[in-house]
Amino acid sequence: MTGALQELRALHGAGRLAAGYPEVAPLLARLTDAPDRPGTQTADDLTRCGSLLARLRPDDVLAHHPHTPVVTVAVTGHSATAQLTDPLVAELARHGLLARLVTGDHGAYLRDLTDADSELHRCHPELTVCVLGSEAVLEQLPLPWTVADVEQASQRLMGRLESAAAAHGTHGSGVLVLTTLPLPRRLTHQIVDQHQRALLGAVWREFNARLLRLTAAHAALAVVDLDPLIADTGPADDARLALYTRSAFSPALFAALAREAVHVLRARRGMTKKCLVLDLDNTLWHGVLGEDGPDGIECGSTLRGEPYAAVQRLAKQLAAQGVLLAVSSKNDPGPVQDVLRDHPDMTLRAGDFVSVQAHWEPKDTALRAIADGLGIAVDALVFADDTAAERALVRRRLPGATVVPLGAEPAWHAARLLADGWFDTPHVTDDDRARTGRYQEAAARVQLRESIGSYEDYLRELEVVVRISPPGRHELHRMSQLSLRTNQFNLTGERVPPERISELSADPGRRLLAVRVRDRYGDSGLVGAVFAHHGPDGLHIDNMLLSCRALARGVEHGCMTAVLSHARARGLPAVHARYRATRANGRSRGFYPSLGFVPHTPADGEDLLFRHDLADIPAVPGHLTVEADFEGDTDEP
Amino acid sequence: MSRDRMADLAGFLDAVRDELGLDLTDEQAAADFDLLPDWDSVHLLRMVMFLERETGRSVPVSSVLQARSMREVHALVSADGTDAR
Repeated sequence: MTGALQELRALHGAGRLAAGYPEVAPLLARLTDAPDRPGTQTADDLTRCGSLLARLRPDDVLAHHPHTPVVTVAVTGHSATAQLTDPLVAELARHGLLARLVTGDHGAYLRDLTDADSELHRCHPELTVCVLGSEAVLEQLPLPWTVADVEQASQRLMGRLESAAAAHGTHGSGVLVLTTLPLPRRLTHQIVDQHQRALLGAVWREFNARLLRLTAAHAALAVVDLDPLIADTGPADDARLALYTRSAFSPALFAALAREAVHVLRARRGMTKKCLVLDLDNTLWHGVLGEDGPDGIECGSTLRGEPYAAVQRLAKQLAAQGVLLAVSSKNDPGPVQDVLRDHPDMTLRAGDFVSVQAHWEPKDTALRAIADGLGIAVDALVFADDTAAERALVRRRLPGATVVPLGAEPAWHAARLLADGWFDTPHVTDDDRARTGRYQEAAARVQLRESIGSYEDYLRELEVVVRISPPGRHELHRMSQLSLRTNQFNLTGERVPPERISELSADPGRRLLAVRVRDRYGDSGLVGAVFAHHGPDGLHIDNMLLSCRALARGVEHGCMTAVLSHARARGLPAVHARYRATRANGRSRGFYPSLGFVPHTPADGEDLLFRHDLADIPAVPGHLTVEADFEGDTDEP
Repeated sequence: MSRDRMADLAGFLDAVRDELGLDLTDEQAAADFDLLPDWDSVHLLRMVMFLERETGRSVPVSSVLQARSMREVHALVSADGTDAR
């Protein structure tokens, strides 16, 4: 019995679904908070919700809630795609995204993807999902067929998909999601020669492997590997639906694909979460520290400990790729510190966490403290806990935070943590790998600040060096990532996905500048970016970004002062800039005026426009050393 | 248990209303699918899966896909499914 599903049905039945749309995401969060139910049942319920949500007209929702984020999603495929709609709409709604769905012509997926003027391309989808089943190869086979025929047919299909990916890169929009092809037994076992049958398996996998490798050459392409999904969901298809309705996948596999496709979209919309907040008792170890004592808890290679050791190894693996780890636990702080330092079976140690909140305050207070301490939004937190009441409290008091339900069976904890790809990102960068260390350097700065009287003295003691120059090729992924992850000092809120950053960098009319910061405590790496272009009336700053890690040290002022001085030295008439308010960047509203920019009319829609006449440029803040190389012709130090 | 629930048409319609989220009246049980509000061909596929799960028996898929009304589907899946049409 799922109360959330009934409530959604009641909203639908009363004709209130559009008006009540803001209630949908919280309802779906409650529906998926079912850690002790098989995942397929929860997925079924989500599909049921999707069926109701798919009947909504996006414009009706927007009439009630004009600021609801809308995503245009195109679905096409070699086979029938109708069964993807409901789970896809539901998965988007879970993340607060309202779907505007465009469906391609049946069986015309190659035209949909390659024709610059196709209906699909005209809608400029942010996400295009192309459903490919094994029939895409099988229908190309003669009768009787051999393994060599399969090899040729799959190579022809590969050629077409490569063209489609290239065409998408040229005149498509957003990201294109393809899938690997499942290999059904009713195909392999038509070959009775067991050696040839093995070869067929190899040929098929070679096709899939090549398809997966295509993503290296096409930045706007993602390929969802169906093998791990099928290993979870069971049968890839139902022979009856495949034959009667050309439905390539089982409902469970469609649901799993919808989920993965939305992870791809989320990562490219800057919705990647930053910090995993873990409970301790019965989450990172078996037992309750306060009752069982340090000798009574288990997280090593014992029967009870093994699942918890697996969770700790998973957390360590995520942390190595840039996920910040934190603890929120109802415990006395002393014993927790002792376990983190001394317990022989712990994989995770105090140094793996950027914040340990072990106390008896409510958990929403702990989560707020973690977010504030890191300078990130509560929305960037993922909170995992095995206690339903704690999860319900956090969902209610911090609706922006993500809550991962852990159930009574700890062996499922790791799978639950990974189920929604909360930390998926298009590319992990060097910056990600160094992230935990950088937050610990930040803690050292806080200590210095507390030991020194005035803020100015503190800044001087830091010895901050800012280096500005065009990004090197190896830095482009990081530039894109910065635009996806930065909210507070993102002066227009614009995101630049990976394929777009390469285009911008190659465009001679554009100026990209990377901002790197180091101080006596360490190298913060590439933490800022300026996007600009030249016009007849001077330099136009399209956007500027600075990671929250580098805020409050005058870095943004140092950068912009250097840009203004450079513009004046080149004899440019002015520098123009724009600011667009977002949910998170309100505190940066006064940035341009603080440097002598004056409002410039006419205003351009939602943008505030500014102009600086370069007559009076403020000095670089005294505590900063700025090394500027705007032409990018100085060698790296 | 569920099988019993769906043995008569009223119980079957109740179950289908829940599963598909359709506002079906009893009168619409005999109506052509195309005349039902919010009808979608995917609903038939979902019904096949749902009926198999609920009854624990396999459903004559090609016949269900050709059915034109809820009454026909019910006749196909109820114990003596011989009086369809």
